Amino acid sequence: MRWKLDLRYDHPILGYGLSLLCVGLALGVALLAKYFGVRDVELPVFTLAIAVVTWYAGIGSSALTVVLATLLFDYFFVEPLYSLVISPQDIPYFIIFVVWAVVVSSFAIVRRRVEENLRHTREALADRAAELEATNKELESFTYSVSHDLRAPLRHVAGFSELLQKHAASSLDDKSRRYIRSIMESAKKMGTLIDDLLGFARIGRAETMKGSVNLEQLAREAIADVGQEASGRDIAWKIGALPACHGDRAMLRLVMVNLVSNAVKFTRIRSRAEIEIGCARDDAREVEVFVRDNGAGFEMQHVNKLFGVFQRLHLSEEFEGTGIGLATVQRIVHRHGGKVRAEGAVDKGATFYFSLPKG
Amino acid sequence: MAERLGRILMVEDDPNDVELTLTALEEYHLANEVVVARDGQQALDYLYCRGQFSDRTPENPAVMLLDLKLPKVDGLQVLQQVKSDENLKMIPVVVLTSSQEEKDMMRSYRLGVNAYVVKPVDFHEFVNAVRELGVFWAVINQPPPGSMKK
Repeated sequence: MRWKLDLRYDHPILGYGLSLLCVGLALGVALLAKYFGVRDVELPVFTLAIAVVTWYAGIGSSALTVVLATLLFDYFFVEPLYSLVISPQDIPYFIIFVVWAVVVSSFAIVRRRVEENLRHTREALADRAAELEATNKELESFTYSVSHDLRAPLRHVAGFSELLQKHAASSLDDKSRRYIRSIMESAKKMGTLIDDLLGFARIGRAETMKGSVNLEQLAREAIADVGQEASGRDIAWKIGALPACHGDRAMLRLVMVNLVSNAVKFTRIRSRAEIEIGCARDDAREVEVFVRDNGAGFEMQHVNKLFGVFQRLHLSEEFEGTGIGLATVQRIVHRHGGKVRAEGAVDKGATFYFSLPKG
Repeated sequence: MAERLGRILMVEDDPNDVELTLTALEEYHLANEVVVARDGQQALDYLYCRGQFSDRTPENPAVMLLDLKLPKVDGLQVLQQVKSDENLKMIPVVVLTSSQEEKDMMRSYRLGVNAYVVKPVDFHEFVNAVRELGVFWAVINQPPPGSMKK
């Protein structure tokens, strides 16, 4: 039951008009009551008039109302009646009225101020959110078109290097051949980086399709997916009971695949890899899943870098990769409103946790 | 392999991509019948036998390799024109582009494209893709009756 208009700013005249109206009505009711012998109605009705006017029309109208109400109250209801004189025994009554009128209007003003404050804050917040979203979208489409436009020249570098190699094979010495090979390898690496960056940017732009997701099934699918990398190796898989959760199946699948694939990669140094996927915590609000391995691990002091884009903690000779897998995981989990964290120690394996809110 | 080689219309603005594609086609002896249009306008001029192409024999190419990012008239516009023209819509169109954008794919397929191929960065894959495209569309596939062939 709140009118959206702020009479003080839209139409000050309206505010004063409201004041007159309310006081007039209050007077009418009070006189009517008096006529029918109902006592002491004047104080509440005038007070109500003051409160209403203050709430909807601000200080100016409020002051007018208080003054008007006081005068009318004095004239019609304070002995001697029909005059602005106040007889001594009615002075307390009069004073009480005035004090009460001022108190009520003060409360109403404070209330109004608080509401206005709230409204302004809310508007400012909405503006800021819109701004941030616009910037975000811009950034994502920038990332996308940059990655995109980089591919064409890269294709040319790769293509012409290869053609050069073929055409000039006989006239090139070993060193030249090595140089060309380096060019081609770098072009290939750059291609992978761009693809990864594109994929990463795509996550931010894609629509999430939320539904019920069976995490245990995703875990099994992920293990099947990395089967190729894991063929011929001794890997002990352990899958705990994983609950169902709410989210975008394709994205969560990617999370699982990235984490499992990392586990497989970094346990390559072990004769027997042990990889465990389980549920760390399952309460009413969220579910936390972990992927643990007994691989190369990492130093805890670098844990903050783990999830950064293109951040790596190992040399490319030790373990290949562009460093976008965990950044992708973090991005997807954050989009679902969850959190990621990791624990590990050098040469003692690592555990990666991600939490997803339920429902 | 050169018995029934259909004419290939390649619409591509980037000279490097033109060279790489032609080189790949040459490797498989498919480059003889390639006409290159450097932008959408030229492509349409060719198809409608107007402008600089007003003297050519009015027959349709066996396939059109179309890049999407073109100056003047862009790929999707060309595609739309071709697929809405009674005489031209029979021409098989293969979009050959760097764009993996879903919306580009969607719009191309909605307009009736016959194939959508994303240019691979890896040269080997690129050559393979071009060769397979060339062999399929210019040799194996029977082009619509009335199309040009050697």
